[in-house]
Amino acid sequence: MEQIKQSVKMFILENILYEDNENALDYDDSFLEKGIIDSTGVLEVVGFIEEEFNISVDDEELIPENLDSVNNLARFIKEKSGK
Amino acid sequence: MNKPNQQKICSNCILPETFPGIRFNEEGVCIFCQRFQGKEEKLAQDKKKYEQKFHQLLNQLSQPSHRSYDVLMAYSGGKDSTYTMFLLKTKYKLRVLALSFDNGFISDTSWSNIKNVTDRLGIDLISFKPKWSILKSIFTYASMHELYSKKTLERASTICTSCIGLVKSICLKTAIEQNIPMIGFGWSPGQAPVQSSIMKNNPSLIKMTQKAIKEPLKKVVSDEIETYFLNEWHYSQSERFPYNVHPMAWEFYDERMIHKEIKKLGWEAPKDTDTNSSNCLLNAFANEIHVKRYGFHPYVWEIANMVREGVMSREEGHNKIYQEQPEQLIEFARQKLNIQEI
Repeated sequence: MEQIKQSVKMFILENILYEDNENALDYDDSFLEKGIIDSTGVLEVVGFIEEEFNISVDDEELIPENLDSVNNLARFIKEKSGK
Repeated sequence: MNKPNQQKICSNCILPETFPGIRFNEEGVCIFCQRFQGKEEKLAQDKKKYEQKFHQLLNQLSQPSHRSYDVLMAYSGGKDSTYTMFLLKTKYKLRVLALSFDNGFISDTSWSNIKNVTDRLGIDLISFKPKWSILKSIFTYASMHELYSKKTLERASTICTSCIGLVKSICLKTAIEQNIPMIGFGWSPGQAPVQSSIMKNNPSLIKMTQKAIKEPLKKVVSDEIETYFLNEWHYSQSERFPYNVHPMAWEFYDERMIHKEIKKLGWEAPKDTDTNSSNCLLNAFANEIHVKRYGFHPYVWEIANMVREGVMSREEGHNKIYQEQPEQLIEFARQKLNIQEI
């Protein structure tokens, strides 16, 4: 689980926030509420997790409960991939 | 800050050294181009995948229903939304309702285009104009202050983001109210990734994304902004939440071909807009402010994506971005908004 969180966090830091500082993002920061990403950004993250973790995200799964923080994403990825 | 033509620019695309998060290798190739290397085939596969997904969606939506329209087209009258609407109507045989948002700065030629094209294609049209006092307050505030997140501003100016936020919201409200299962957008292949080209809206995600636009605007025009956003009734209609589609993410895209096709529909290129808009007289002013504020052009991400993906030549992309904004357009907008200086 920790490995998934770290991988997602690094993607957000590198591709969304353009930050080298790992403290710039906490695992439970809400991406949308904090203005870290917008709805297009959410779909970029979806593209990343589909490729990186070899999962397919269904339309009805595009909800904040699954996608809106590193913690939510990691839990969702774990459930989808059975890791 | 260096002037745009004195900046270091990626030797492959056109992103400047001032773009957030950019770094270059020894050959002067930016990090975004380096990451794209080897992904050309994956992009082509994704385009095919999303085209198939769209056909599946059309099959799914082809069940008999009582609705009057299949798709609500967010129709600006610009070349990309005109071509997208043409495809939806003629290639995909959909019943289209066009919605044009009047921000007070649509060029006269564009209004003629909107009327000519909808008539020629046999498409019903709604035009929606928020009251000028609201638009003026938002545009004036956005020209002097930042309203949105850093990520949003890589892709569009503060003024454009405010305007598009309203357009998206009005379209979503209308689609829910009229039970139209899709909203069509004319995003270019560089504007939004193919992964976002077919997206089912849902109440919880929309509630959060609307908040990101609505709350900053509320600071400017208080509760009057609520009129343009979804209310609790809309959120209770989850089965009516439409798909967003932008077919140009997978369709063949070539500006010359698009101009040629839409000319047959009575569309004429406006002569009074800037190089990155074919409908809006506020765009140059918004671009000028963004360049002054952040040191890079708000369209550079979109155009660089198209150059990188081979949709546009580097020279064409460079010409669109690295030239001064037309002075008369900046002056026109400044006077209309009654802003002393920018």
